Parts: sequence; structure tokens; C-alpha cells
Amino acid sequence: MIQSPHGNRKTIWAIGGGKGGSGKSFITANVGICLSKLGARVILVDADLGGANLHTLLGITPPVLSLSDFMKKRVPRLRDVLVPTDVPNLQLLSGAQDLLNAEDTKSAQKRKLLRSIQSLEGDYLLIDLGAGSSVSVLDFFLMSDGGILVVTPEPTAIENTYRFLKSAFYRRLRQAVSSTQVKAVIDGAMDRRNEQGIRNPQDLMDAVRRISETDAQTILEEAEGFHPNLVLNQARSKKDIEIGFSIRSACQKYFGIHLHYLGYVVYDQDVSVSIRKRRPLVLENARSRAAQCVKEIASKLADRHPLSLGS
Amino acid sequence: MRRIEDQTYYEILEVSPTATVKEIQRAYEHARETFGPDSLAVYTLFNDQEIKKIQGAIEEAYQVLMDEALRKSYDQSHPHAVPGLKEKPPEIPAVAVEKRPSLSFTDIAVEIGEVSYRGTSLKQLRERLGVDLATISAETRISLRVLEWIEEESLENLPALVYLRGFLKAYASSLGLDPQKVIDGYLSILPDPRKK
Repeated sequence: MIQSPHGNRKTIWAIGGGKGGSGKSFITANVGICLSKLGARVILVDADLGGANLHTLLGITPPVLSLSDFMKKRVPRLRDVLVPTDVPNLQLLSGAQDLLNAEDTKSAQKRKLLRSIQSLEGDYLLIDLGAGSSVSVLDFFLMSDGGILVVTPEPTAIENTYRFLKSAFYRRLRQAVSSTQVKAVIDGAMDRRNEQGIRNPQDLMDAVRRISETDAQTILEEAEGFHPNLVLNQARSKKDIEIGFSIRSACQKYFGIHLHYLGYVVYDQDVSVSIRKRRPLVLENARSRAAQCVKEIASKLADRHPLSLGS
Repeated sequence: MRRIEDQTYYEILEVSPTATVKEIQRAYEHARETFGPDSLAVYTLFNDQEIKKIQGAIEEAYQVLMDEALRKSYDQSHPHAVPGLKEKPPEIPAVAVEKRPSLSFTDIAVEIGEVSYRGTSLKQLRERLGVDLATISAETRISLRVLEWIEEESLENLPALVYLRGFLKAYASSLGLDPQKVIDGYLSILPDPRKK
């Protein structure tokens, strides 16, 4: 949570992980609307590498100004790029397609962007990261107050989610340790066929302990403090819903981290109907089963990070 | 971030050290499902050998924690597993590590491996959970006699199918089991004409 210069606290959630098409943008748009309907000032940041289209889900035309205009100094302030939406208290920051590319985004640029995003006037910021696990995407995920992974109950989607989570987890550890030798071990651990024979985080811990007990302790603390969230999308049965709990247990056993299962969204034809109409589901069909699930998720987020007094 | 062999039985089943037998049963069913052969959640993280090791640990933890004497002995010999608990009373209303009730899908029980939900196995499960039939009768408003018939698989006395379904649903819910699985399992033992 970040204290803005104006005294209000804001919470940043980054929605990422998983396979393309798992519903990250859908969740971002609709949860954002639900939060704004609770009276919060919400900003949605479209950082989907594969194709920024949050504006379409919100039913607005592609904005003229985007994050790129700010980064290329065509506009002086990030807030100048904010686009209002039809929903009161909800604004959109569009077009990060050419920004979060690991190849051409320098870390100084990234830091500037992060600082600018953090200084925006709002209560809740939701960053739609889209698919992929480039370094920049991972950094956005890790810098947020809560990373949210969206997964569908399919093997490919679950596999991609674990891959993303593993990358984010190891990057977090890498950033926390001090020894360059330990950093190199962590880098090596990312390769499943690494020469050190590190197959899982427990093997990594053993390897790190042999180098630095201090860094081993740091890693333990980082693992304990890493609490990403999970949303299971397109659940068609109770068994699908249970997969979310199983993923949570698997993460506990494998990474030693506590994944918070935020909730699920049922598979609902009304979702595709609303997307085709370019109308957010929670506005188009608020009583639909999927919309009810989204509302429940939004309320849980709001409960965990309530609006500060006077904001 | 500890290996499975270094975790306590409570950590392996992801329950609080004060968990009731009912909670342990549910946690065990969930763990078996999670690390079972058809699970989508584990095969990319763990290899076959690791999964077998975890399955073994789950079975061991379950056998000990479901046996009052074994559990007491384990608690006494592993004080770190039950911090702040000098002597564990047998049935304290437990606080789970993470409360599930905030999610509306929390009461879903998962399949108990190969255990089929027929009358005899339901009775065994109920007794293992320490729930007597009178309690279920009071909770579900199903007569004691009917509950006994269900457990005895007394086919000639069982009510019409439509009522039987409702009774099985209530019985399952009161034990925290998945009603649909109990209904499907139980009805599968009935002769065909009754299923129609």
C-alpha cells in the first residue's frame, strides 16, 4: 500500500500469469467496475503485452493517448494520459504494448513508470499484465500490493501459471539476496536441467545454505512474505472449483508459499455475450452467475484493503 | 519451505493442531484428491517419485491424527508441532489455518479415493468422525429408523427414490461429505428398478 502525496493510501493489484485467454482482462475490467461502484476511485492500467484491449471490454474506442506518449515525453504527466470511462470513478490508462517489452525497456524507464503509476490519484489501481513472464512483467507483478493470477481449469493454463509463479518467485528471491554467488545459483535453478541438480525450492535452499546462511534466512523470509492470489475462471463444476484449492496446496508443498484462493468465476455464456456487445458483464448483466462471482471477488479485495478514511 | 519429511503431520494435511477429526477427514480427502493420479494441479510441479513420497506422508499423517491415542502420543513427542498446547483436548472447536467459509464453495467434500459411499462405508465413516446417528437425526429431522435402514442397506425398507435422494443429501451434508457423490455412490448399489 502506498501513501500518496495527498495523504490517501492506494492499493495496487497486478493481474497476470496464466495463459493468454484465461480471462485476465475480463477480471480486471469487471472487478475494477465493482470497486468503483463501492465508491472507490479506480484506475485500470492496460499493460497487456499480447494486445492491449481493455478499452474494448469497457466499451470505449481506442484512446488517442497512451502510456507510450508519457514515456516518450509527448505529455508531461502520466495523469494527462488517463481516459475517463462511462463508469463514475473509473479511469483507464491505455496502451503499454511497446513499454513492457523486456528488450527495450530500460530499468530506469521502468522505475520512472512505476513511480509515476504509484503517484496517480486513486484508491485502487489494477494493472492488467496479460500473458507472458518477461522480466518487466514480473517486476510489475512483484511491485504490486497483491499479484492476482487468473487460471482456467485446464492443464495448459495451470502449467503456464506455475511457470509464471516460479519465475516471479525466483526473481523475488534474487532481488532479496546479497551474494552474487547466490544470485547465480538462483539464475541456474530456473533451468530445470541445471548442473547443480536443483529441482525445487528446497534443493535451492540447500545450495544457498552452503554459500550463505544469511541469504538462506532471507530466502525463507521472502517465501513466507510472498502471498499471491488466485482466481479460477470458467469453472464448470465443483471439481473445477476444487482445483483452486489443489493449486493452493501444491504451491504450499512445492514453493512453501501461501497462495490465497480469492475465488472463482463460473463458466457463463453471458460473459461472451457481453464481450461481443462491448459492454462489461457487471453492467450488462449484473444478475448473471459470473457477474455475481466477480462481485464476490471485488468485495473480498475491498475488505482486505479498505478505503482509508478521508480518501 | 521445508521438505515433506521435515513437515509435521498437521502441516502435511494443512490443518491446525487443534483440528477436529471431521476437519482432518476433510483435509485428508482434499490432499488425496490433490495428489491423486488424475489431479491437474501437481503433475508439472512434482515428478512421480515426489508425488509417491507425498502420498505416503499424507497416509501416515492421516492414520496417526485420526487415532486418538496415536495423535496424543505424537503431540507429546512433537511439541513443536502443537505450539502452546500442553495437552490437547479431544474435540475442541477448531480454527482452521485459513478459514474457508469466506468462499461460498467451501463445503464441497472431495472424493474419498476408492471408498464407495454405500451404507456400510457411510456408517464406518460416521463412526470414525465420532458422530452418532441420533445427532444426524436431530440435525436432519430424518427418523432414526430410516437412517439405520440407509446404513444397513435395508433395501426393502428404504423410502421411495425421490425421498431417499433427499435423505442421502441431508445425511452427507451433516457429515461434511459431497452430497452428489454420496447419492451417486449409494444409488449405484441399488437394484436397477429402484433407480428409475
